[in-house]
Amino acid sequence: MKQKFTVLILITIISILITGTLLFSCKGKTTSKNTTEEIVIYMQMGGTEGDPSTLARTNGAKAAAKSLGVKLIEQYSGWQPEKMINQFKEALSANPDGIVIMGHPGEGAFEALVDEAISKGIIVTSGNNPLPNIEKKYQEKGFGYAGAELYAGGYLTGESMVKAGLKSGDKALVYGLFHQEGRNQSPQGMFDALKNAGCKVEKLDISPEVDSEASLAIPILTAYIERNPDLKAIGTQHGNITSNLMKVLEAAGKKPGEIITGGIDTSPATIEGVEKGYVSTTFDQVLYLQGYYPVLQIVLTKKYKIPGLHINTGVGTVTTKNIKELKPLIEEGIR
Amino acid sequence: MKKSLNALSVFKKIEGLPIIIVFIMLIIAFTITAPTVFTNYRIYMSFLQTVPPMLVLGLGLTLVITAGEIDLSFSAVIAFSGFIFSYIFRTLNTPWLAFVSAIAGGGLVGFINGILIAKIGVPSIMATLASQFFWNGLTIKLCGGLSWNIKVIKTYFIHPLFVGRLFGIIPVQAIWALGLTIFIWFILNRHKFGESIMFIGDNPEVARVMGVNVEKTKIQLFTINGLIAGFAAVLLTLEMINFWTTQGSGFLLPVMAAVFIGGTSIAGGQGSIVGTFFGTYIIGSLEAGVVATGIGGYWTRLVTGLVMGASVVLNILIDESNPKNIIKVLKRSVFNKGLKNNRTNT
Repeated sequence: MKQKFTVLILITIISILITGTLLFSCKGKTTSKNTTEEIVIYMQMGGTEGDPSTLARTNGAKAAAKSLGVKLIEQYSGWQPEKMINQFKEALSANPDGIVIMGHPGEGAFEALVDEAISKGIIVTSGNNPLPNIEKKYQEKGFGYAGAELYAGGYLTGESMVKAGLKSGDKALVYGLFHQEGRNQSPQGMFDALKNAGCKVEKLDISPEVDSEASLAIPILTAYIERNPDLKAIGTQHGNITSNLMKVLEAAGKKPGEIITGGIDTSPATIEGVEKGYVSTTFDQVLYLQGYYPVLQIVLTKKYKIPGLHINTGVGTVTTKNIKELKPLIEEGIR
Repeated sequence: MKKSLNALSVFKKIEGLPIIIVFIMLIIAFTITAPTVFTNYRIYMSFLQTVPPMLVLGLGLTLVITAGEIDLSFSAVIAFSGFIFSYIFRTLNTPWLAFVSAIAGGGLVGFINGILIAKIGVPSIMATLASQFFWNGLTIKLCGGLSWNIKVIKTYFIHPLFVGRLFGIIPVQAIWALGLTIFIWFILNRHKFGESIMFIGDNPEVARVMGVNVEKTKIQLFTINGLIAGFAAVLLTLEMINFWTTQGSGFLLPVMAAVFIGGTSIAGGQGSIVGTFFGTYIIGSLEAGVVATGIGGYWTRLVTGLVMGASVVLNILIDESNPKNIIKVLKRSVFNKGLKNNRTNT
């Protein structure tokens, strides 16, 4: 009897939680036209739900879906290339109107799958990480790209760090995902920019543990700073690590501006870092547009046969000079 | 030789001895290869700043594994309890209510896990894996995927109380984690509850016959683990003064590694809180140490594997019940026999 009562209580708690979750889900649901003409799009968002490198993209995609009457199916891969491939196969089997992919797995992995999708009449386009040869092949069929040029974005951030006060001969570190093809483009760009400016640059690879839990980067970068007391700059193109740069410098006993830092994307923690001077510059790839444009692309191609458009969303960097006006938008998950 | 063997026998009775040896050797190795880093206090303070949440998680997990179970949901509790703490603080400006609610949230997760496992009979690995996905998903849904900055909490007493700096440099969370370690050690090794956990881990049927209420103890165990994980979430959120939906996601493997290299038996029945303590600090400092030596970050996983292997092998060699126990091997060895023969002849 007691056991049955306990089980009943457990079922009640779980039911309340599930009902609450469903209610919250319904709250933000897109009220699109539920007709046979509704366009269905599967979209790869990249990271995990809500992380600083993904949130604004999700919000942009949802905004486009809402205004265009599209049914959007979000896919999150934690930036794992093999998962992106599996998600494409899942999308393919659902036979939607369009699929948005990212280039992290590489053209070799995607080519056959994209061929199959397009032969079935599915529109495929891309964002965040380009697939230039596939884009060239299927541009007429609507294959476009909306994202920052990763290498160029990293290079721009490196240049911005130089403008913040680096001189020839200064020692710099670039902490990036050098072991991952695709995601190594932007830190490589940063590395090259600093090297071309005459800095002595070292590379340090981000381990999978730190990739998932950025707070673990604090002792690692502290150790690096202690080992290299003449270090003048730290750059990264990892959004979550950018969020922790202020903590790193505090742990190492550095004052704002003592070490010039460069990062990517914006999050509330990064804003604070920029405001206090710990983060000198952060690359803004306008993730919102990386979410909005691919959805728009598929609709334009579906309805009006418009070819794929190549849109560079990497417009610049955020520094102490422009942070004030962007802050409220960043906190809303728009910028 | 015999006196040496007796001294060795006494020495090996120190709990967590293998991992303590590995820890000391690592620190010595890092100090030799990176003297500018490891002779400076800052690197140790950064470990004391970042390792405590992992250690707190490891303490709870040690109890669970000692009982012959597993809990994979603690990383989701870090996000869920972190959300509760941040949301209540931002909405009501009441840090202490946020604190209690966050810990209670962790307890709720643990309680539900306990019911699923003890009453319904779902294997703990399946129940807690599902739990991890559920609570993570719920957290993301409730916060709308947004991350929050709660820097205003620095003006409240709760901040320096849990994550302040003693004498301006020592992270207070390390002291809280140490205190919890001592408390959990006493629970496991000197309290009836700890005894029950070990009996259950050894053989739940025998434990039942001996009068242990196995179901009730398991429910209490998972609830306590949830409460402990909730506390770890508060420490992490206070230190970072930020809530991220992905917080805690990277702790799963490192915390498990720390518990196992610390000497807690995967089969259950035996747990080492001292081992978990040193195991966590080893795992938390490995990558920083490798980077400090300048040999490059690609070596981290390789070195981690070597350290784990060494710890586990040492644990087995020193284990009394193991016929290959090093003391027994030495006692049976020709050297000891040779000495015995010499004494007989003289």
